[in-house]
Amino acid sequence: MLSYLIRRILLIVPTLIGATALIFFVMALAPVSITDALLSREGNLQPGERKAREEYLNRRYGLNKPLPVQYFRWLNAISPVGVKEKGPGFPASWKVGVKWPDLGNSFKQARPVGPIILEALPVTLLIQTISMPLSIAIAITSGIWAAKHRGKLQDVATGTVLLGLWSLPVIWVAVMLIGYLANVHYLKWFPAAGLHDPRAGSMSFFPGHGSAGYLLDSLWHLVLPVTCLTYGSFAFLSKLTRASLLDTLGADFIRTARAKGLSERVVLYRHALRNSLLPLITVFAGILPAMITGSIVVEKVFSVAGMGRLVIDSLLAQDRELFLSVATITLLLQLTGFLLMDIAYAIADPRVSYE
Amino acid sequence: MSRGDGNSGFPVRPAVGYAPGGAMSDDLPLRRTYLQHVVHDTLVPVASRLGLAWVVCLAFFAVTAPFIANSHPILMQEAGRWSSPMLKSLEPADIVLPVAAIAAAVLLVRRKLSAGQGLGMVAWVSAVTYAATAWPSAPQYYATLRGARLELMSAWAAWTLLRFVGAMVVMMIVLLPIFVLPRRATMVAGACLAPLVVLTLVFPVRPPELVVYERYRQKEGSGQITFVLRAMVPYSANDRLRDQPELRLTPPRRGHPLGTEPNGADVLSRMIHASRIALSIGFIATGIAVVVGVIVGGLMGYFVGTVDLLGMRLIEIFQAIPRLVLLVAITASYGRSLYLMMAVIGMLSWTGDARFIRAEFLKLRKEDFVQAAVAAGLPLRSILFRHMLPNGIAPVLVSASFGVASAILLESTLSFLGLGLVDEPSWGQMLNQAREGSGFNWWIALFPGAAIFLTVFAYNLVGESLRDALDPKLLKRE
Repeated sequence: MLSYLIRRILLIVPTLIGATALIFFVMALAPVSITDALLSREGNLQPGERKAREEYLNRRYGLNKPLPVQYFRWLNAISPVGVKEKGPGFPASWKVGVKWPDLGNSFKQARPVGPIILEALPVTLLIQTISMPLSIAIAITSGIWAAKHRGKLQDVATGTVLLGLWSLPVIWVAVMLIGYLANVHYLKWFPAAGLHDPRAGSMSFFPGHGSAGYLLDSLWHLVLPVTCLTYGSFAFLSKLTRASLLDTLGADFIRTARAKGLSERVVLYRHALRNSLLPLITVFAGILPAMITGSIVVEKVFSVAGMGRLVIDSLLAQDRELFLSVATITLLLQLTGFLLMDIAYAIADPRVSYE
Repeated sequence: MSRGDGNSGFPVRPAVGYAPGGAMSDDLPLRRTYLQHVVHDTLVPVASRLGLAWVVCLAFFAVTAPFIANSHPILMQEAGRWSSPMLKSLEPADIVLPVAAIAAAVLLVRRKLSAGQGLGMVAWVSAVTYAATAWPSAPQYYATLRGARLELMSAWAAWTLLRFVGAMVVMMIVLLPIFVLPRRATMVAGACLAPLVVLTLVFPVRPPELVVYERYRQKEGSGQITFVLRAMVPYSANDRLRDQPELRLTPPRRGHPLGTEPNGADVLSRMIHASRIALSIGFIATGIAVVVGVIVGGLMGYFVGTVDLLGMRLIEIFQAIPRLVLLVAITASYGRSLYLMMAVIGMLSWTGDARFIRAEFLKLRKEDFVQAAVAAGLPLRSILFRHMLPNGIAPVLVSASFGVASAILLESTLSFLGLGLVDEPSWGQMLNQAREGSGFNWWIALFPGAAIFLTVFAYNLVGESLRDALDPKLLKRE
């Protein structure tokens, strides 16, 4: 197991390098160069000014260097192991060793990437940490319910409804929810955008003093985005739970349990359910990266300034350093997720072995 | 593989390998191939039939879009002269699609050719029609390329691509009948196509460059047109009703059963034309994904060892990158093009197929018939694609059917985010217009959204039924 683990962790490195190289060169080979994109935002410049700005940008971010050089410079900057200091002579005076990863500067906002990400991250984390447990809970409950009524009308109906929910495009649901439930012309039950009231800063945390309070206000703003994020994933999870529970219920040890006279409840929850939660581990591989890029559409529709918005905005502005940082973090989380999934399988199921 | 016995190109699987619950009923003749069994079982549930019916309906709209929804009258009499502006406004794709659809329908009904030959025949017919209809536009393309006003790539690259595509079309027209298609069928199809080819040579397909849609309405209003036969929906997708600015953004009303959008175009017409994009994106992107997945997965499963290790890293790389993010990255930096979108969605979706094929091939390579093929000294191509692939393709069919749904979803999401096509209508882009203007334009939200939902739902229903027909335990294998 240990050698397997070490091998897997080492294999993360080439995968990460390959994936970031793919993203880097896809962006770098674009017809509009980054310098042009940055300068076009500064309005009409005199030719001399433009040249000076171009030189400044090239010097600051190294944009006129050959692409592989740019990539390896970036890779060296974000890598925890690499060249720390460059002396004049190569390679004798270069200091190589463990260092603190540097995510670089955002081209557009002209400040370090780290704080920008730290501002956006809690917003997305908040939405995701509410929606994920919710969807898992609903999924397991409805999956058990469908499996209990296998083949009956309830099962078929749940199956079709769940498949329908899974097929419902988030973009449509979000637009319809905002259009009908957050619209003065129809029902103005929920706010249409943002996660807080503009006056939320001056509210007390709990209700009182003539206002709903920070907590209730936030919850009220969260209802629609969380609904949009939850319904699709729980449909998928629920089908998975049902299939795996049915699989287990057909096993010999369930027949034994019934034969020795255990109550149906004990058979279902203690014997069958525990053994059928195994395939759900697959889902956990997706949870980590979803914390960053799982809510791009929802954040866009509900004007929430989270990681998804950051990704889209950084791409549209050709803000390479910012986007690459977010992408690298997502990739790292996804690869960690795959690894954790395999480990979790081995822990949960003694039959799984990686020797 | 003998022709004429309805063989669809898939070898009969030994009876032991095929036993989904209750499918081997007595009314099925045992001579049916594995694939025919699967298709039969897939179409038993009502839900999957409904789903398939919706897809067929959509395909009909996609193929006949310019004939159903068009501002150009089908037939009109102006100052004593009869003309058909609609026929004049047709583009090569508008002619290729119906011809290919008719060829496919004839082949489906008559069932004389195997699946591979049938596909080849449809491709050949499309290529001939495309060559016949597109040649007049070649100088125009050339002029555009010489002008080098392309965002996507350099003029040299575009020109090379054009020559490459042209050479491919010519090669298909020449090589397919020689190597793949049966002679008689080719001659019949060629005889049917001949009048069309002659017609396009006499009347070259040259759609007008500048289109003034409101011209017909104005002439009709002033009485210059004495007789006019209009299409069922008398508005083109890009007819922005410049003569009726008061009709911008109106809810459903007479003449516009689904209302109009912020630019003034008719929503129903745009939806009909958008079904083309939805269908083609789904099929072509999934086709690319399946081809790449089969090749990579097949090589991994057959060779194991180093190839497997490298392939697995490649799969991991593509699986770890969120598809929507890379898609946005590419469209944001390379401009918006339908073909680019199809290619990118396809290139990002093959990992699942590759994993399935790899798992199947790992099992198959130990089987006797594969060993026998190796021992007989067959070329690798034959071992992989003739002997192993037909026996291992089943899981890919399921994932392809779900893949079509997810490709359509991906495209509409991209268009919704404002990164899709600009002028061409797409359901996702229309959905985005629902929040334009002051309020909520419910008619633009409801209809295109429902179209996306129904299409995705239809493919998922078919996919699920296909999965049940193939193997109830299929998805748990991975």
